[in-house]
Parts: sequence; C-alpha cells; structure tokens
Amino acid sequence: MRRLFAALLAAFGLVSARRYETLSRSLDGLKAAAAEWKKKASEAEAQQRSMQAELSRHSQLVVKLRGSVEKWKEYHVDVKKLRDRLADTERELMVARDHLMAIEVKLDILEGAANVLDKRTRSSVPKDRHESGARA
Amino acid sequence: MVTPPVVSLVLTGRNDGYGGDFNARFFRSLRFNHQQFTERGIAYELVFVEWAPPGNARLIRDQVFDAIPELDAAACSWYVVDPRYQELLSLNPRLEYLEFPAKNVGVRRARGRFVLTSNCDVYFGRRIFEVLAEGTLEPRVLYRAPRHDLTLPAERPPIDWSVLEDPGNLAGPAHVLKRPYMGSATGDFVLLDRESFHEIGGFNEVYRVARIGIDRNVLVKALSSGLRIADIGGPVYHENHEGSYRLNPTAYAGRETEAPWGDRRWHSGGVSYVNPPTWGLSDAPVREIGERVWYLDFSWAAMPPLVDLQRIVLPVARPGSPAPGLYVRKR
Repeated sequence: MRRLFAALLAAFGLVSARRYETLSRSLDGLKAAAAEWKKKASEAEAQQRSMQAELSRHSQLVVKLRGSVEKWKEYHVDVKKLRDRLADTERELMVARDHLMAIEVKLDILEGAANVLDKRTRSSVPKDRHESGARA
Repeated sequence: MVTPPVVSLVLTGRNDGYGGDFNARFFRSLRFNHQQFTERGIAYELVFVEWAPPGNARLIRDQVFDAIPELDAAACSWYVVDPRYQELLSLNPRLEYLEFPAKNVGVRRARGRFVLTSNCDVYFGRRIFEVLAEGTLEPRVLYRAPRHDLTLPAERPPIDWSVLEDPGNLAGPAHVLKRPYMGSATGDFVLLDRESFHEIGGFNEVYRVARIGIDRNVLVKALSSGLRIADIGGPVYHENHEGSYRLNPTAYAGRETEAPWGDRRWHSGGVSYVNPPTWGLSDAPVREIGERVWYLDFSWAAMPPLVDLQRIVLPVARPGSPAPGLYVRKR
C-alpha cells in the first residue's frame, strides 16, 4: 500500500515529507563538503603560489651560489699562485741574504785593509813634511 | 821510510804572559796530555808554532824541556814565526794574535795521519785518548769535542783525572754540541785526517779581521767540502783564566769593533773560503835554528794579497746536509 502511495506521489512529482527531510539533509551535507573543498582548493592555490615564490628565490640563490663557487675557485687558484710566488720569493730572499753575507764579509776585509793601509801611511810619512805648523 | 805518527797535535802560543801565566798553564796541560799519550802508546807529534814572539822574552821552546823533561825533542817540531807576518797579515790593528794563520803554519807542516788543533790550556778527556789508541778514527770526518770549563783551586793541585772529572770544579754547565755544526768552542778541538785538512786548506786566512769565529768557519768549509762532522764522544777540559773570551763574551757589547778578538758578529756561519795555495806560509823561507826548531823568515813572496775578495765564497749546499747559516744583521 505504501509503495503504491509513493508511486502515485512520484507520478505527480512529489515525495513524502520524510523523504524530503532526508534529501534536504543530504543536500546540506553536500553543500558543506563543497564549501570545504573550495576552501582547501583555495589554500592549495595559496600554497602553490608560496612554493613558486620559494622556488624562484631558491633559483636565484642557486645562481648566486654558482657565482660564488666560481669566485672561490678563482680565489683558490690565486691562493695557489700566491703560495708558489711566496715560495719563490723565500728562495730568492735566502739567496739574496747569502749574497749579502758574502758582501758584508768582503766589506769587512776592505774596511780592515783600508784601516791598516791608513795606519801604515800615517806612520811612514813624517808628520812635519805635510803639516804646515800654522797656529790656529 | 819513517812511519808517520798517528796524530799531530798542533798548538800555538808565545811567551807574552797571555791570560796571566800562559807558560805555566801550557806546561801543566802539555805535561798531562803527554803523559796520557805516552801511557797509551799513542805515537804523536807535537807541532808548536811560536807566532811572532816578543823579542825581549825567551822562547817557549827554550823553556819547555826544562819544565817537562820527559818530553821527547825528536817528537816535537817547533816553528818560530817572524813577527812581521803578524804585523803585515793583520787586517785589524786590535788583533794581537792571528791564531788561525798561526795554526795553519803547523797544520801545513804536520806529519801525522790525523791532525788535532787545540789550545795551550786544554786537557784532553779519556774518550779522546781511547779513540786515538783504538785507531778507529775515520778519514773525511771532522771530530769535535765539547768543552768543560774548569775553575781550579788557587793552590793549583797536580792535574789528574780526579781533578778534571770532579763536577765540583766545573765553572758552569757542561757544553753540549749541537748539530749540524757542533760548533761550541771549536778552537779547542778540531781533529781531522791530514789529507782532508790539506784539501780544505786549513783555517780561513783570507778573513784576517777577526780571530773569533774563524774556528766555526772551518766547520762551514768542512760541510761545504762534503766532510762529515762528528762528536768524538767525550769532552776536553779548559782551565779558565783572566782575559778569556769565554769568561765574558759580551765584554765589548755595543763596541764590538774594539774587541781584541774582532767583531764576533761577522758571518762566520754563512760564508766559506778558498785559501790561497800558499796557506800556512808554505812559501816562507825556513832555516833550522836548533834541534827540530825552524825559523820562518819574513818574505813578501810568502805573503798572501792584502785583499783577495774572490776567495770569500758561498758555501755549497749539499743534499742531506744542513743549509748554510742564517743571516744575522750586523750593521
């Protein structure tokens, strides 16, 4: 009997009040779920935008770091060159010092010879021959 | 053919009262050393160079056999050097004694297979006599010995091992030889085979501006010539006396050029030398004036040039050998 009644209502496009209540609740639930998903989609979009911005920032950082790495590589090469030059300079300094020592020793000899020759000259030449004797 | 002695002991001095009582100190040490050589049967020759002796004093040669009668005149070679060599060789009027050109006179004429140059107030330690007696000395090795300075009691007891080896007589901490030069108090002990001594041409006689440091300089020359330097393993003992450089090495600090031993800051550790072929006054006319006593007359032909700068050279750095000395600012 109930089925017959429901079929009759359906023929006129109608439903029972109970059925109406059930469907109405389902509709509300679906609306809420849709709103929830919409919110989530919106959040995801925002997150995507944020990540894109982050990605862009990291990309710039990578470019910057690549530049720095190149600079460090050049710096490392420069440091190695400087170290080599320093070693060369140290060697040259050592050689220069060796020569300086030899020169100073030779100067000592020359100075000594000059002193003894001066002394001998003074003692061999009579004083009164070259001194005027004029009184100051 | 006469067998050469094992070792020639080359000493130099003159009767001028150096250090207060030069002759007494010399006779004490010579007596002791001679006794040790003799007791161990070591054939040695004493080569003594009386360098520029004062004209108003007796030669040491004329006193030594009275002071030490046991000394064998036949085992001694005495060279008396005309004072004009001192006067004309010196490049520093304050240097009263050209110790190393004097020693070269002895080294050049020594006959021993090994030549030991030392000083007149040095007593050789046990180890030195042991090594000489064992005959284990190697050629091309310059042997060094550390010096122990002694302050002996005023009453001057007879010198024996108990006196020399008494730590209570040490004037200070015993010296330790340091590689590579082992250069402390080198003038007191340089022992080298005769052939090598001739190869290096003796001590530097091109640089006649200082006496100090010439002994160290021979070590640079030796290393540069490919010789090895080794510690003989025991000390020599030195009797302290007035006027000794060792007692007050900084006495002339700030006025180094006035020092009677020359300026100690010269680069003795950094340069080498090539002595002229006439080193040791080899061309000096010699005449015999007594039993094994020779007088070296003055001759310009025996004199090296006053200045011969090309003979000052840089030492050769050899693989495995130490580098030449570090530069020390002098002026």
